[in-house]
Amino acid sequence: MTASRQLHIKFFAALREQAGVSALDVTTSARTPAELYAELTATRGLTLPASLLRVAINDRYAAMDTALQPGDRVVFIPPVAGG
Amino acid sequence: MFELTDQPVDSAALRARLERPDAGACVVFEGWVRNHHAGQPVTKLEYEAFDEMARLEGEAITSEAEQEHPGCTVLCVHRTGSLPVGELAVWIGVASAHRHAAFLACRQVIEEIKRRLPVWKKEHHPGGAAEWVNCTTEVTAGRLAPENYYARQVSLPEVGAAGQQKLTAASVLVVGVGGLGCPAALYLATAGVGRLTLADAGKVEVSNLHRQILFTADDVGAAKATAAAARLRAQNPLVKIEAHATDVTPANVRALVAGRTAVLDCTDNFATRFLLHDACRFAGVPLVSAAIYRFEGELNVFLPNAAGCLHCLWAWRAAGELETVANCAGAPVFGPAVGLLGVLQAAETLKLILGLATPGDGQTTRLVNLLDFSTQGIARSGDPACPVCGNPLAAPAPVAGPARSRAAGSLSPKGSPDPFSLNTLKDPVVLEAGELATLGPVQTIALLEVGETLDAATAPPGAVAVPMHDLLRVRELVAQGPTVLVCRHGLRSAALARLFRAEGLGKIYALAGALPAIRTHTTAN
Repeated sequence: MTASRQLHIKFFAALREQAGVSALDVTTSARTPAELYAELTATRGLTLPASLLRVAINDRYAAMDTALQPGDRVVFIPPVAGG
Repeated sequence: MFELTDQPVDSAALRARLERPDAGACVVFEGWVRNHHAGQPVTKLEYEAFDEMARLEGEAITSEAEQEHPGCTVLCVHRTGSLPVGELAVWIGVASAHRHAAFLACRQVIEEIKRRLPVWKKEHHPGGAAEWVNCTTEVTAGRLAPENYYARQVSLPEVGAAGQQKLTAASVLVVGVGGLGCPAALYLATAGVGRLTLADAGKVEVSNLHRQILFTADDVGAAKATAAAARLRAQNPLVKIEAHATDVTPANVRALVAGRTAVLDCTDNFATRFLLHDACRFAGVPLVSAAIYRFEGELNVFLPNAAGCLHCLWAWRAAGELETVANCAGAPVFGPAVGLLGVLQAAETLKLILGLATPGDGQTTRLVNLLDFSTQGIARSGDPACPVCGNPLAAPAPVAGPARSRAAGSLSPKGSPDPFSLNTLKDPVVLEAGELATLGPVQTIALLEVGETLDAATAPPGAVAVPMHDLLRVRELVAQGPTVLVCRHGLRSAALARLFRAEGLGKIYALAGALPAIRTHTTAN
């Protein structure tokens, strides 16, 4: 049995340009950020490899295998370049 | 305090906000937009931030710096938006009573910003081309790719891609992060040993710095394992480095040693040396051990099934007795000597992993003297009567006591009297059944060889059967109270009782003679 959940996704920098949008609400069966990103690479044509990314859930860094909850705000973070 | 702004930054105004009468130093870092990057001209930078999270992370970064460097006040402002060449992109100021803490805190803040602040920059080049920094495959994949990092080592025919894979799959424990452990761990990490665990409960002291090369003056007071792990992660981010800022004890040694490809004994005390040696032997893990005496060093590789173990090397002398002569704590030591021996430990470990070790490596004590540049190899053939690695049934007599000759050369200067000629075994260890009865309550451990069983009907009441070579289990039981060891012939139980007594493990005895209740499967049938 696979439950689907609604998630809010935001994109920044290179991922925003690849996705073509800066925010997206999805209903998905993905259980973790890793599964969600795999789904998005297929549906939105994202090309940055998952190994380069970090993820933030509700504005905090989290592990790529964290269990996603309905309503989570998920942001995939491309390699940062502050300073 | 951290701020994000899309307006130009007034550094003089920011500096004024840090002024306080007790501050004797203010360290300021400014990051500017420059007109080139990676050999390409740059016309402007476009900064984009994940606003809500960047403010949270930025605040976390500055308050962490203030906590780790007490007395520092930290202010950081980061720009967003489109910035021309020469514009200020990030400003960090740290005010403190003294300059040292201010420099450290300022450096920490900029490094953490580059590592985790969710801010990105897009480089614009002349002609309109633009790219997100760090997101192009050439930069991200090429910068620290394993094929580049290990290129000069993989090109050795003895290593090759297959050897590098063995190193990546290897798991090595280094016990003791001092004069030996620092260089040993450094070369293991740079060689690409995939998982490296450092264990040491000590803190960095000023008197360590002349030989413990992973530490800087700033590390004084820090936990050695933690400081060394941070240094090694910076040296090679491709491998996993774990720090255990604890002593190795009978309670944790099994878990630390289990599943390792090799263990390095870089300790300075015999109690830990014996414990590690026994744990490795029982777990079937090679142990690479080194010791230092002033300008001289000794290197031993102990393979789990080879004759010539640490116990016969030191002829069952008490750990406590050896400490009094060979204790390293506070002893004079020539930095390059301990460094060389640590490097040799790394070399022997890498050879073991790569399959380059020769049979002699595991049965030879190597001695090096840096004063006269002499080296010497002494074969460790082992003692046939050793209860740990020998064959007692082939021996002419059970262990006779302390008047045994040491199997390896002494590190003491030539011509001096053997400092190990003390008789420490004053207590009678091997007792008749009648004498044992006078001891009061004792537990009985029956040591069983492969194929032997303990006949419950005729065994001493409450006797616990333990495999002969499970030295760690015997140690655990001995620690619980007075113990009598028994075995089928009465030889190994006597030898092991002496061994553990000599290590200071308390009231341990052996029953004189054979125990008929232990049978081989064939006699039982």
